[in-house]
Amino acid sequence: MSTTTFGGVPADEPTAATEPSYLTSENTIASWLFTRDHKRIALLFFASVTFFFFVGGAAATLMRLNLAAPEGLLQPAVYNRMFTMHGIIMVWFFLIPSIPTTFGNFFIPMMIGARDLAFPRVNLLSWYVFNLSGLVVLFSLIMGGADTGWTFYVPLSTVYANGYVLAAALAVFINGFSSIMTALNFVVTIHKMRAPGMTWMRLPLFVWGIYAVSVVMLTATPVLAMDTFLLAVERFIGIGLFDVRHGADAILWQHMFWFYSHPAVYIMILPSMGVASEIIPVYARRPIFGYAGMTIALMSIAILSFFVWAHHMFVAGISIYSGVFFSLMTFFVAVPSAIKVFNWTVSLHKGRISFDAPMLYALGFVLLFTLGGVTGLMLATLAVDVDLHGTYFVIAHFHYIMVGATVSAFFGALHYWWPKMTGRLYPEMWARSAAILMYVGFNLTFFPQFVLGYLGMPRRSYTYPPEWQSWNLLSSAGASILAIAYLLPLLYLGWSIFWGRKAGPNPWRASGLEWATPSPPPKHNFEETPVVALGPYSYDPENDTFIDQEGVLHAR
Amino acid sequence: MPADTELMPEMQYATLAQQGETAQFGMWVFLTQETIFFGALIFTYFLYRTTYPHEFAAAAKDAVLWCGTLNFVILVTSSLTMVLAINAAAQDVRPNRMVRWLIMTVVLGCLFLVVKGYEYYLDFQDKVVPVVAFEVKPGEGSAGVLFWVFYWVATGLHAIHLTIGIGLVLYMLLWRIRRGEISPAYYAPLEVVGIYWSFVDTVWLFLYPCIYLVGRS
Amino acid sequence: MTIGPEIDARRAGAFPFVVAWIVILLTAGISAWTAFLGLGVWAPVIQFGIALFQTSLLFVLFMRLKGAPSLKWVCAVSGFFWLLFLYGLSMTDYANRQGWPPTQAAGRSQLESHQDDR
Repeated sequence: MSTTTFGGVPADEPTAATEPSYLTSENTIASWLFTRDHKRIALLFFASVTFFFFVGGAAATLMRLNLAAPEGLLQPAVYNRMFTMHGIIMVWFFLIPSIPTTFGNFFIPMMIGARDLAFPRVNLLSWYVFNLSGLVVLFSLIMGGADTGWTFYVPLSTVYANGYVLAAALAVFINGFSSIMTALNFVVTIHKMRAPGMTWMRLPLFVWGIYAVSVVMLTATPVLAMDTFLLAVERFIGIGLFDVRHGADAILWQHMFWFYSHPAVYIMILPSMGVASEIIPVYARRPIFGYAGMTIALMSIAILSFFVWAHHMFVAGISIYSGVFFSLMTFFVAVPSAIKVFNWTVSLHKGRISFDAPMLYALGFVLLFTLGGVTGLMLATLAVDVDLHGTYFVIAHFHYIMVGATVSAFFGALHYWWPKMTGRLYPEMWARSAAILMYVGFNLTFFPQFVLGYLGMPRRSYTYPPEWQSWNLLSSAGASILAIAYLLPLLYLGWSIFWGRKAGPNPWRASGLEWATPSPPPKHNFEETPVVALGPYSYDPENDTFIDQEGVLHAR
Repeated sequence: MPADTELMPEMQYATLAQQGETAQFGMWVFLTQETIFFGALIFTYFLYRTTYPHEFAAAAKDAVLWCGTLNFVILVTSSLTMVLAINAAAQDVRPNRMVRWLIMTVVLGCLFLVVKGYEYYLDFQDKVVPVVAFEVKPGEGSAGVLFWVFYWVATGLHAIHLTIGIGLVLYMLLWRIRRGEISPAYYAPLEVVGIYWSFVDTVWLFLYPCIYLVGRS
Repeated sequence: MTIGPEIDARRAGAFPFVVAWIVILLTAGISAWTAFLGLGVWAPVIQFGIALFQTSLLFVLFMRLKGAPSLKWVCAVSGFFWLLFLYGLSMTDYANRQGWPPTQAAGRSQLESHQDDR
């Protein structure tokens, strides 16, 4: 039985809150800018990452407009700065922070039955440091940007590049502190502040996903910090530890960069996996299949992600034996990801599935992640990578995962938790249309790029031979559809804040602790500390009942 | 807040003990990250020293051993004074003993920076400052400068971390202790600063053989 | 994973810490002495081994890992453990790469000519 009418999700009568919600409890600007409430900080982060999403998206729009025809639109030097800034902004200012700082901040305390994170002031500081790094990157962008690619390879970035490389590198360095602070907060909170009865194996998988991502952030980001710091030193003084004139190794930059940046791509996907594991049980009305396997898979992905980085460097000049080792490890890291895909799929079996917008996004996530993942295996194959490295095949591969999967999950989470965060229901038909439009637009944008890569089109190039124009035109056309699909939620979600139907505490009849509070929640989350009796996802599709984590049965 | 008023835990904690434990754990998590930060830098040193042992040995002759060793002694002693301050915080109702040991710690920390500053002055005289005042010494080839880039980056970052540590101890002295917030009932903030301080010392334990014990024979 | 009972700061004297301090200083002296002995490649091995020992003393006693719950031990060790990944796996490249180390003469003449390209 699916809910189909316009805004017509049966909602409980909104409960009379005994204290005002976190949104209305104080109304001054200072109460927002100096808040310690994790929920408000989540919204502050949401504003920042959304802003940067559109800045990075603007760069992408210009790139796709340029690539619609071989004659192009932008000057080559400008195109180079566009793809560089697109990469930097999307990676560090949207993809890495997005789900952890918005939904992680908002819901981790609630899901574990806590009143806030362990270190609320560190949380707020993280937002300010994020914005500081944002200002530096905007400065770099406005002054003309860098053209080294988001990967800043030396000696291009240290010696030969013109442009605001130093500012861009410093922005990334500062941004790392924000990541580390957020990750530290989550690790400590999840270890130390779970409600009585909330054992590790009763945690929702979203919490496990955030925990895994935080471990990766904490252990990978310092290496990037050192790498960008050394880059800045070398660029600034003219000599450094990557300086080939003095016998140093330029590839050392790449080793240290990818030691972080490969785990970084898992930083971008692990929270999305957590989101999918939250949404699918609710809309299939079934427990997730293989909960223990899912937690082991999450932690395995986190650890194994550290063993594969040089698969980005197969043709950079590393030892062939090293290449063999990293290729093998890359095949291994695919295994836990595949296990998760199997488990999500099996979780649908004999479920009572409803195709509401969050479910559409979650299903899209699984499909797009799978396609991105198997193309990653193709790239992991040494001999194949020799031909595909540096082509559009690679671009298509990572966009399937980062955009297809992660952004889908972000939108899924946004719709799923929208009623809880705002106390309003979004218009369901608009949301479903946007989800489907996004799926179509996404595939139209990026599938042709697999073909282009196979045909040999190199990446980071402002032009291409005319015989490839039809594929490029398809891709650019898809991008325009994708843009609409991204803008639509701005409109209808914005509308719903003022005129959407009021939501009750648990419009989706979900079992997590966060749904046991009013919508929107009060400032202190819980009146009394919850006592947890059960694991998550105790849904029964046959009788359409569920048992929440405190042990209360909810009949239809 | 006067010392006799009961200190309440923050709203997300059930007890002060939980708050203190969590703060300490948070500092340990932070130090994991710091270990990797400095460890990555030392990796570059490890790579280049194993690749260019003779060049590094020749270049490192100009490292001022007495300054490095004196600083080693100063810093380890400051770890001792810090730990004694924490013992005093846990044992004494009056803060006097704790304050004395903390002042000692600050003094030692500042002394480290003074010795380091003097060493930097000597380094300028010895012309081992890349780009600014650098002379290639016999036997060091073109790779010897890599040692000195490492030296300036490593000791510079270490000095910054130490300065932050001094700042934290001063914050404890001038703010928290003055307001009576550190007492045998709750002294976790001081423990957290102490852990950080000893970690800054740990970094020097590794930088010392990296910089001062190369090529001495 | 703990080493004996926790050091209770409320009852601890200065003695164990002073002893540890002396041990750290003495071993540092030994470490410095090995630098002058002409031990070749073994000198840094001994010196960094001593540094690790001194770090353990600092961690266990001064930073009070002694008797602490396992979680703190995991944290303390994780940083070093993770570095093994960086060092070990990077060395699979450097130990086996044909072009490493670069020959000094070739390296310099080839690239010094690029100095004027800026």
